Amino acid sequence: MHELSIAMEIMDVVEKEAVGHGARRVKVIHLRIGDLSGVLIESLSFCFETIRGEKDLTKDAQLIIDRVPVRILCRPCESEFAGDGFLVRCPSCEGLDTELLQGDELSIAEIEVD
Amino acid sequence: MDPIKLERKILSRNDRVAAEIRELFRSRGIAVLNMVSSPGSGKTSLLEKTLGGLSAELRIAVIEGDIQTENDARRIAVTGVPVHQINTGGACHLEAEMIRDSLDHFDLDDLDLLIIENVGNLVCPSAFDLGEGARIALISVTEGDDKPLKYPAMFHTANVMVINKMDLLPYTDFSVDEVIRNARSLNPDARILKTSCRTGEGLAAWSDYVREFVAEMR
Repeated sequence: MHELSIAMEIMDVVEKEAVGHGARRVKVIHLRIGDLSGVLIESLSFCFETIRGEKDLTKDAQLIIDRVPVRILCRPCESEFAGDGFLVRCPSCEGLDTELLQGDELSIAEIEVD
Repeated sequence: MDPIKLERKILSRNDRVAAEIRELFRSRGIAVLNMVSSPGSGKTSLLEKTLGGLSAELRIAVIEGDIQTENDARRIAVTGVPVHQINTGGACHLEAEMIRDSLDHFDLDDLDLLIIENVGNLVCPSAFDLGEGARIALISVTEGDDKPLKYPAMFHTANVMVINKMDLLPYTDFSVDEVIRNARSLNPDARILKTSCRTGEGLAAWSDYVREFVAEMR
Protein backbone atom coordinates (compact mmCIF):
# COMPACT_ATOMS: atom_id res chain seq x y z
CA MET A 1 0.00 0.00 0.00
CA HIS A 2 3.05 2.27 0.03
CA GLU A 3 4.13 1.07 -3.41
CA LEU A 4 3.38 4.43 -5.05
CA SER A 5 5.75 6.23 -2.70
CA ILE A 6 8.38 3.55 -3.37
CA ALA A 7 7.92 3.92 -7.14
CA MET A 8 8.37 7.69 -6.78
CA GLU A 9 11.51 7.19 -4.72
CA ILE A 10 12.91 4.84 -7.39
CA MET A 11 12.23 7.48 -10.06
CA ASP A 12 13.99 10.17 -8.01
CA VAL A 13 17.12 8.08 -7.47
CA VAL A 14 17.23 6.81 -11.05
CA GLU A 15 16.77 10.28 -12.51
CA LYS A 16 19.58 11.79 -10.41
CA GLU A 17 21.98 8.96 -11.24
CA ALA A 18 21.15 8.94 -14.95
CA VAL A 19 21.53 12.69 -15.29
CA GLY A 20 24.72 12.58 -13.21
CA HIS A 21 26.19 10.06 -15.67
CA GLY A 22 25.15 12.15 -18.66
CA ALA A 23 22.51 9.66 -19.87
CA ARG A 24 19.64 10.77 -22.09
CA ARG A 25 17.42 7.76 -21.66
CA VAL A 26 16.86 5.08 -19.03
CA LYS A 27 16.26 1.69 -20.63
CA VAL A 28 16.09 -0.75 -17.74
CA ILE A 29 15.92 -0.50 -13.96
CA HIS A 30 16.97 -3.64 -12.06
CA LEU A 31 15.44 -4.02 -8.61
CA ARG A 32 16.03 -6.58 -5.87
CA ILE A 33 12.93 -7.23 -3.80
CA GLY A 34 12.86 -9.72 -0.93
CA ASP A 35 9.74 -11.66 -0.08
CA LEU A 36 9.74 -10.08 3.38
CA SER A 37 10.16 -6.50 2.13
CA GLY A 38 6.43 -5.87 2.43
CA VAL A 39 6.26 -4.72 -1.19
CA LEU A 40 3.67 -6.19 -3.55
CA ILE A 41 5.46 -6.58 -6.86
CA GLU A 42 2.31 -6.33 -9.02
CA SER A 43 1.30 -3.17 -7.23
CA LEU A 44 4.78 -1.64 -7.56
CA SER A 45 4.89 -2.46 -11.28
CA PHE A 46 1.49 -0.86 -11.76
CA CYS A 47 2.53 2.31 -9.89
CA PHE A 48 5.79 2.45 -11.87
CA GLU A 49 3.98 2.21 -15.22
CA THR A 50 1.62 4.93 -14.12
CA ILE A 51 4.36 7.47 -13.34
CA ARG A 52 7.23 6.61 -15.71
CA GLY A 53 5.74 8.76 -18.52
CA GLU A 54 6.12 11.94 -16.47
CA LYS A 55 9.70 12.44 -17.69
CA ASP A 56 11.14 11.89 -21.18
CA LEU A 57 14.20 10.36 -19.52
CA THR A 58 12.22 7.45 -18.06
CA LYS A 59 9.20 7.14 -20.33
CA ASP A 60 10.45 3.92 -21.98
CA ALA A 61 12.10 2.44 -18.91
CA GLN A 62 11.42 -1.22 -18.12
CA LEU A 63 11.43 -2.63 -14.64
CA ILE A 64 13.22 -5.95 -14.15
CA ILE A 65 12.66 -7.38 -10.71
CA ASP A 66 14.92 -9.96 -9.10
CA ARG A 67 12.74 -11.53 -6.40
CA VAL A 68 14.77 -12.69 -3.42
CA PRO A 69 13.33 -15.68 -1.53
CA VAL A 70 13.69 -15.95 2.23
CA ARG A 71 16.68 -17.95 3.57
CA ILE A 72 17.12 -18.50 7.28
CA LEU A 73 20.03 -19.97 9.21
CA CYS A 74 19.43 -21.92 12.41
CA ARG A 75 22.43 -21.07 14.61
CA PRO A 76 22.47 -24.13 16.92
CA CYS A 77 21.97 -26.83 14.27
CA GLU A 78 23.54 -24.83 11.41
CA SER A 79 20.87 -25.88 8.93
CA GLU A 80 19.60 -23.43 6.36
CA PHE A 81 15.96 -23.36 5.41
CA ALA A 82 13.54 -21.48 3.18
CA GLY A 83 11.25 -19.38 5.29
CA ASP A 84 7.51 -19.80 5.17
CA GLY A 85 6.46 -16.16 5.29
CA PHE A 86 7.49 -14.66 8.60
CA LEU A 87 7.92 -17.99 10.39
CA VAL A 88 11.41 -18.36 11.80
CA ARG A 89 11.10 -21.70 13.66
CA CYS A 90 13.71 -24.21 12.40
CA PRO A 91 12.01 -27.18 10.72
CA SER A 92 14.89 -29.53 11.72
CA CYS A 93 15.35 -28.83 15.42
CA GLU A 94 12.27 -26.66 16.21
CA GLY A 95 14.68 -24.04 17.57
CA LEU A 96 14.11 -20.29 17.45
CA ASP A 97 17.68 -19.03 17.55
CA THR A 98 17.69 -18.14 13.86
CA GLU A 99 19.09 -15.49 11.59
CA LEU A 100 17.63 -14.05 8.39
CA LEU A 101 20.23 -14.49 5.64
CA GLN A 102 18.21 -12.93 2.85
CA GLY A 103 14.66 -11.91 1.97
CA ASP A 104 14.21 -8.37 3.31
CA GLU A 105 15.94 -6.61 0.39
CA LEU A 106 14.44 -3.57 -1.28
CA SER A 107 17.03 -1.96 -3.49
CA ILE A 108 17.95 -0.65 -6.93
CA ALA A 109 20.73 -2.95 -8.18
CA GLU A 110 21.66 -1.15 -11.38
CA ILE A 111 20.27 0.83 -14.29
CA GLU A 112 20.89 0.52 -18.02
CA VAL A 113 21.02 3.82 -19.86
CA ASP A 114 21.80 5.40 -23.23
CA MET B 1 26.83 3.18 -22.03
CA ASP B 2 27.80 0.62 -19.36
CA PRO B 3 25.16 -0.21 -16.80
CA ILE B 4 25.34 2.01 -13.70
CA LYS B 5 25.75 -0.10 -10.56
CA LEU B 6 23.77 1.36 -7.68
CA GLU B 7 22.96 -1.25 -4.98
CA ARG B 8 20.98 1.48 -3.29
CA LYS B 9 18.42 0.69 -0.57
CA ILE B 10 15.03 2.25 -1.26
CA LEU B 11 13.21 3.97 1.58
CA SER B 12 9.57 4.84 1.25
CA ARG B 13 8.51 8.38 2.06
CA ASN B 14 6.93 7.05 5.26
CA ASP B 15 10.20 5.44 6.35
CA ARG B 16 12.03 8.70 5.75
CA VAL B 17 9.62 10.75 7.88
CA ALA B 18 9.62 8.01 10.55
CA ALA B 19 13.42 8.15 10.73
CA GLU B 20 13.27 11.94 11.05
CA ILE B 21 10.81 11.92 13.98
CA ARG B 22 12.55 8.96 15.66
CA GLU B 23 15.68 11.12 15.75
CA LEU B 24 13.66 14.02 17.17
CA PHE B 25 12.27 11.74 19.93
CA ARG B 26 15.74 10.33 20.61
CA SER B 27 17.33 13.77 20.93
CA ARG B 28 14.70 14.79 23.47
CA GLY B 29 14.66 11.50 25.35
CA ILE B 30 10.98 10.85 24.63
CA ALA B 31 9.84 7.21 24.72
CA VAL B 32 7.20 6.40 22.09
CA LEU B 33 4.88 3.39 22.08
CA ASN B 34 2.76 2.37 19.07
CA MET B 35 -0.19 0.24 20.19
CA VAL B 36 -1.76 -2.00 17.55
CA SER B 37 -4.49 -4.64 17.59
CA SER B 38 -7.77 -5.68 16.04
CA PRO B 39 -10.72 -3.41 16.82
CA GLY B 40 -12.02 -4.23 20.29
CA SER B 41 -8.98 -5.96 21.81
CA GLY B 42 -8.83 -3.39 24.59
CA LYS B 43 -6.20 -0.83 23.52
CA THR B 44 -8.10 2.13 24.95
CA SER B 45 -8.95 0.30 28.18
CA LEU B 46 -5.32 -0.69 28.71
CA LEU B 47 -4.33 2.90 27.96
CA GLU B 48 -6.79 4.23 30.56
CA LYS B 49 -5.34 1.85 33.16
CA THR B 50 -1.78 2.80 32.17
CA LEU B 51 -2.48 6.49 32.57
CA GLY B 52 -4.28 5.90 35.88
CA GLY B 53 -1.20 4.12 37.21
CA LEU B 54 1.62 6.17 35.72
CA SER B 55 0.51 9.75 35.04
CA ALA B 56 1.52 10.84 38.53
CA GLU B 57 5.16 9.79 37.98
CA LEU B 58 5.63 10.28 34.21
CA ARG B 59 4.79 13.11 31.84
CA ILE B 60 2.61 11.34 29.27
CA ALA B 61 0.74 12.40 26.13
CA VAL B 62 -1.50 10.35 23.86
CA ILE B 63 -2.28 10.34 20.15
CA GLU B 64 -5.50 8.53 19.29
CA GLY B 65 -5.97 7.19 15.76
CA ASP B 66 -9.43 6.31 14.52
CA ILE B 67 -11.19 6.41 11.19
CA GLN B 68 -13.88 8.58 12.71
CA THR B 69 -15.18 9.94 16.07
CA GLU B 70 -13.43 11.59 19.00
CA ASN B 71 -14.76 8.97 21.42
CA ASP B 72 -11.40 7.53 22.41
CA ALA B 73 -9.83 10.97 22.87
CA ARG B 74 -12.71 11.90 25.18
CA ARG B 75 -12.07 8.77 27.26
CA ILE B 76 -8.41 9.71 27.58
CA ALA B 77 -9.08 13.42 28.24
CA VAL B 78 -10.95 12.43 31.44
CA THR B 79 -7.63 11.24 32.89
CA GLY B 80 -6.19 14.76 32.49
CA VAL B 81 -3.42 13.62 30.12
CA PRO B 82 -2.89 15.75 26.96
CA VAL B 83 -4.48 13.93 24.03
CA HIS B 84 -4.81 14.60 20.31
CA GLN B 85 -7.24 12.71 18.11
CA ILE B 86 -6.33 11.93 14.50
CA ASN B 87 -9.29 11.00 12.32
CA THR B 88 -7.94 9.27 9.25
CA GLY B 89 -11.25 9.69 7.42
CA GLY B 90 -11.19 6.19 5.99
CA ALA B 91 -7.51 5.30 5.99
CA CYS B 92 -6.94 2.05 7.86
CA HIS B 93 -3.67 3.01 9.59
CA LEU B 94 -1.66 5.96 10.88
CA GLU B 95 1.35 7.24 8.93
CA ALA B 96 4.50 8.94 10.16
CA GLU B 97 3.52 12.29 8.63
CA MET B 98 0.28 12.30 10.63
CA ILE B 99 2.33 11.83 13.80
CA ARG B 100 4.81 14.56 12.83
CA ASP B 101 1.97 16.98 12.14
CA SER B 102 0.32 16.14 15.49
CA LEU B 103 3.39 17.01 17.54
CA ASP B 104 2.48 20.73 17.50
CA HIS B 105 -0.31 19.87 19.93
CA PHE B 106 2.15 18.89 22.66
CA ASP B 107 4.95 20.52 24.60
CA LEU B 108 7.82 18.19 23.72
CA ASP B 109 10.03 19.73 26.42
CA ASP B 110 7.55 18.51 29.00
CA LEU B 111 7.17 14.90 27.89
CA ASP B 112 8.60 11.52 28.93
CA LEU B 113 6.28 9.18 27.09
CA LEU B 114 4.10 9.49 23.99
CA ILE B 115 1.62 6.67 23.48
CA ILE B 116 0.10 6.28 20.02
CA GLU B 117 -3.06 4.21 19.77
CA ASN B 118 -3.21 3.07 16.15
CA VAL B 119 -6.36 2.39 14.13
CA GLY B 120 -7.79 -1.02 15.05
CA ASN B 121 -6.46 -3.20 12.23
CA LEU B 122 -3.95 -6.05 12.27
CA VAL B 123 -2.83 -5.66 8.66
CA CYS B 124 -1.88 -2.21 7.39
CA PRO B 125 -0.38 -0.59 10.52
CA SER B 126 2.40 -3.20 10.46
CA ALA B 127 3.84 -1.65 7.28
CA PHE B 128 3.96 1.91 8.62
CA ASP B 129 6.77 2.84 10.98
CA LEU B 130 5.67 5.79 13.13
CA GLY B 131 9.09 6.50 14.59
CA GLU B 132 8.16 4.56 17.72
CA GLY B 133 10.66 3.04 20.13
CA ALA B 134 8.49 -0.03 20.68
CA ARG B 135 5.47 -1.59 19.07
CA ILE B 136 2.90 -3.22 21.34
CA ALA B 137 0.53 -5.77 19.77
CA LEU B 138 -2.55 -6.63 21.81
CA ILE B 139 -4.57 -9.77 21.36
CA SER B 140 -7.59 -10.60 23.51
CA VAL B 141 -8.58 -14.11 24.55
CA THR B 142 -11.92 -13.79 22.73
CA GLU B 143 -9.94 -13.84 19.47
CA GLY B 144 -8.38 -16.98 17.99
CA ASP B 145 -5.07 -18.22 19.41
CA ASP B 146 -3.90 -18.67 15.79
CA LYS B 147 -4.16 -14.93 15.15
CA PRO B 148 -0.38 -14.38 15.12
CA LEU B 149 -0.12 -16.91 12.28
CA LYS B 150 -2.95 -15.26 10.34
CA TYR B 151 -1.50 -11.75 10.71
CA PRO B 152 2.21 -12.58 10.82
CA ALA B 153 3.66 -9.19 9.86
CA MET B 154 2.08 -7.52 12.87
CA PHE B 155 3.36 -10.04 15.39
CA HIS B 156 6.73 -10.32 13.64
CA THR B 157 7.35 -6.59 14.12
CA ALA B 158 6.01 -6.24 17.69
CA ASN B 159 8.38 -5.78 20.62
CA VAL B 160 5.72 -6.80 23.12
CA MET B 161 2.61 -8.95 22.82
CA VAL B 162 -0.06 -8.29 25.43
CA ILE B 163 -2.68 -10.99 25.89
CA ASN B 164 -5.64 -9.03 27.20
CA LYS B 165 -9.05 -9.87 28.74
CA MET B 166 -7.49 -12.73 30.71
CA ASP B 167 -10.55 -12.66 33.02
CA LEU B 168 -12.60 -14.11 30.14
CA LEU B 169 -10.25 -17.06 29.57
CA PRO B 170 -12.47 -19.67 31.32
CA TYR B 171 -15.31 -18.87 28.89
CA THR B 172 -13.26 -19.43 25.73
CA ASP B 173 -11.31 -22.17 23.93
CA PHE B 174 -8.33 -19.84 23.67
CA SER B 175 -5.04 -21.53 24.59
CA VAL B 176 -2.46 -19.18 26.10
CA ASP B 177 0.31 -21.74 25.47
CA GLU B 178 -0.68 -22.03 21.82
CA VAL B 179 -0.81 -18.27 21.20
CA ILE B 180 2.61 -17.90 22.82
CA ARG B 181 4.02 -20.74 20.71
CA ASN B 182 2.56 -19.15 17.56
CA ALA B 183 3.91 -15.71 18.42
CA ARG B 184 7.35 -17.13 19.23
CA SER B 185 7.47 -18.85 15.83
CA LEU B 186 7.33 -15.40 14.25
CA ASN B 187 9.14 -13.39 16.83
CA PRO B 188 11.34 -15.26 19.33
CA ASP B 189 12.40 -12.13 21.20
CA ALA B 190 9.10 -10.41 21.91
CA ARG B 191 8.18 -9.90 25.54
CA ILE B 192 4.83 -11.44 26.40
CA LEU B 193 2.50 -10.09 29.09
CA LYS B 194 -0.96 -11.20 30.24
CA THR B 195 -3.44 -8.61 31.43
CA SER B 196 -7.02 -8.02 32.43
CA CYS B 197 -8.25 -4.45 32.66
CA ARG B 198 -11.28 -5.78 34.59
CA THR B 199 -9.50 -7.62 37.41
CA GLY B 200 -6.18 -5.77 37.25
CA GLU B 201 -4.26 -8.99 36.55
CA GLY B 202 -0.86 -8.27 35.03
CA LEU B 203 -1.25 -4.48 35.06
CA ALA B 204 1.62 -4.06 37.52
CA ALA B 205 3.94 -6.05 35.22
CA TRP B 206 2.75 -3.96 32.25
CA SER B 207 3.43 -0.71 34.14
CA ASP B 208 6.86 -2.02 35.11
CA TYR B 209 7.59 -2.67 31.44
CA VAL B 210 6.52 0.88 30.51
CA ARG B 211 8.68 2.40 33.30
CA GLU B 212 11.65 0.33 32.17
CA PHE B 213 11.11 1.40 28.54
CA VAL B 214 10.90 5.09 29.47
CA ALA B 215 14.10 4.81 31.54
CA GLU B 216 15.86 3.14 28.62
CA MET B 217 14.86 5.87 26.14
CA ARG B 218 15.64 8.80 28.45
